[in-house]
Amino acid sequence: MKGYYGQYGGQFVAETLIPALDELEEAFKAFKKNKAAKEELNRYLKDYAGRPTPLYLAKNLSNQLNINIYLKREDLLHSGAHKINNTLGQIILAKFMGKKRIIAETGAGQHGVATATAAALMGLECVIYMGEKDAERQRPNLLRMKLLGAEVRIVKKGSRTLKSAINEALRDWVKNIRTTHYLIGSVVGPYPFPQIVAYFQSVIGREARKQILSKQKSLPDAVIACVGGGSNAIGIFSGFLKDKTVKLYGVEAGGEGLELGKHSAALTKGRPGIMHGALSYLLQDDDGQVSLVHSISAGLDYPGVGPVHSFLKDSGRVKYGVCFDDEALEAFKMLSQLEGIIPALESSHALGYLIKNKEDFARKTVIVNLSGRGDKDLPILEGIYV
Amino acid sequence: MCRLGIYLVCNYPDREGFLRAVELCNRYGVDFLEIGLPFSDPTADGDVIEKASMEVLKRYRMADFLDSTKQARRIFNGRLYIMTYANIVFSYGIDRFAGDFGFIDGLILADVPYRESNRFKKPLSKKGIGFVYFATPESRQEELERLKRDANDFIYFVSIRGTTGGEFRLDDETKRKIEFLKGAKHKVILGFGIRNKQDIENACRYADGVVIGTAAVEAMRGDFETFLLSLRG
Ligand SMILES: Cc1ncc(COP(=O)(O)O)c(C=O)c1O
Repeated sequence: MKGYYGQYGGQFVAETLIPALDELEEAFKAFKKNKAAKEELNRYLKDYAGRPTPLYLAKNLSNQLNINIYLKREDLLHSGAHKINNTLGQIILAKFMGKKRIIAETGAGQHGVATATAAALMGLECVIYMGEKDAERQRPNLLRMKLLGAEVRIVKKGSRTLKSAINEALRDWVKNIRTTHYLIGSVVGPYPFPQIVAYFQSVIGREARKQILSKQKSLPDAVIACVGGGSNAIGIFSGFLKDKTVKLYGVEAGGEGLELGKHSAALTKGRPGIMHGALSYLLQDDDGQVSLVHSISAGLDYPGVGPVHSFLKDSGRVKYGVCFDDEALEAFKMLSQLEGIIPALESSHALGYLIKNKEDFARKTVIVNLSGRGDKDLPILEGIYV
Repeated sequence: MCRLGIYLVCNYPDREGFLRAVELCNRYGVDFLEIGLPFSDPTADGDVIEKASMEVLKRYRMADFLDSTKQARRIFNGRLYIMTYANIVFSYGIDRFAGDFGFIDGLILADVPYRESNRFKKPLSKKGIGFVYFATPESRQEELERLKRDANDFIYFVSIRGTTGGEFRLDDETKRKIEFLKGAKHKVILGFGIRNKQDIENACRYADGVVIGTAAVEAMRGDFETFLLSLRG
């Protein structure tokens, strides 16, 4: 069925949004065939965002863990994370559709900053929804969005995190459907969003595959990425999905432990449910009410996950595991001190998973997707280290 | 005859208050009731209904909602619909839902558009429960034609682009769409943003009926009886 990955996905939204989703799907098809638009995007990705990002052999960390570790350096991109790949793509798509106004949701603030950045670049009006709790813990990004000229609307309802921000963005969209493009930040939401975001993030995997082949003449044994909604993960996985020898690992936030409410590991502990426009694994109670979740990293603090990951979990192609808050912090510290790279707390989950399972990866070649840098997390870390 | 429907959040402000309101709706000739089963992430609802839902969820569970809806069915003589979100029914199990709620006339799911409706519609219709489709100011001609063909007893015309509780108005294009849908076996009911007698009169020039949500939920905190009386001249 259209818009489905196996049994997951779909378009569970208000009927009012359906024509807009169809329009978006059509525009996206046209965009993919449009040479000029794609060239424009590639030019911005290269000269503005800083692609290709390096694939860096982390020698010190490799020696310490007895694993051959490469880092895909999405943290070096303009605005600090992989999110810019998607926002540049969608903003050109929005312009292509003649939309004048951009709305977005943000958790960690990285997607908000990347959206505000792309909107500023293209001269479009931009409104960002951010949960109150995230606004507090990701203050530097709040300030950046404002400096970039975006209006940030703080959401004081519900969980006051990413989930609530998406609810508000959906409400805004349904009101302003004719003028506004909803620039969704991960491979979540109703079709065609998961498809569009995955397409714009696939550049990560394409580059990584080429780079590893040129650096060591063989494919890696494993690729590891963190999973919030799952956009950076599907971006890098997409380069290796067909290479059956490459093991793929998606790492969810185990938070403070695997009791409902203390983590945000939807694939590990959830069951299929419908939220934010798609059928996918979802953390919910017995009555189908969506659970509150927790992660030390705002970008992973989400009760759902992109439908494509639900499909990849069931099919067994990707193995999904968890990394707890304290393990992520440990990884964060280790990379900072061994390599001089301060990773985002989200990306630290991917690293933390590698570190805690180091025996399984001994002497293997592993690529870790370093989805973003940790500057934005300093307010959280202040409470812990200082 | 323009039909009047009232939307009530199940067990808001509490079970007794809710059932009293159902009784009043019956006494004053409300034609149909929509009972809202609260969901944690009600993206189609405005602030008033969202807040009411969150309050109810602190105290009641699905078993309580089933119980109260059954009770409402005993009290109320008109048609009875449930309005909620996809995950409430999906998580409950669609077949199990159709069995346990077999006494209702129809189901309205705010986040299930026509094209996703089949998996819900089939099990429900086996139990005689109708599935209510939405039409909107954004609906295209081919969608309106399909609705006119496939609808059960009730087409829910969402009058505005937005959430419940917005301001009611109809543009000319929307009026034409309502006009087009009318005249088949089903009723075209206007919802979203209708608050008072004047809105009802205005809406009923075009539609077969209206449903009042936000204003009714607000009135539950005050004098609900006076509110109901104010709707009919
Ligand atoms: C640096 C970084 N990595 C990962 C994520 C999680 O998003 P996704 O799972 O879509 O890659 C975020 C989200 O804000 C982020 O900022």
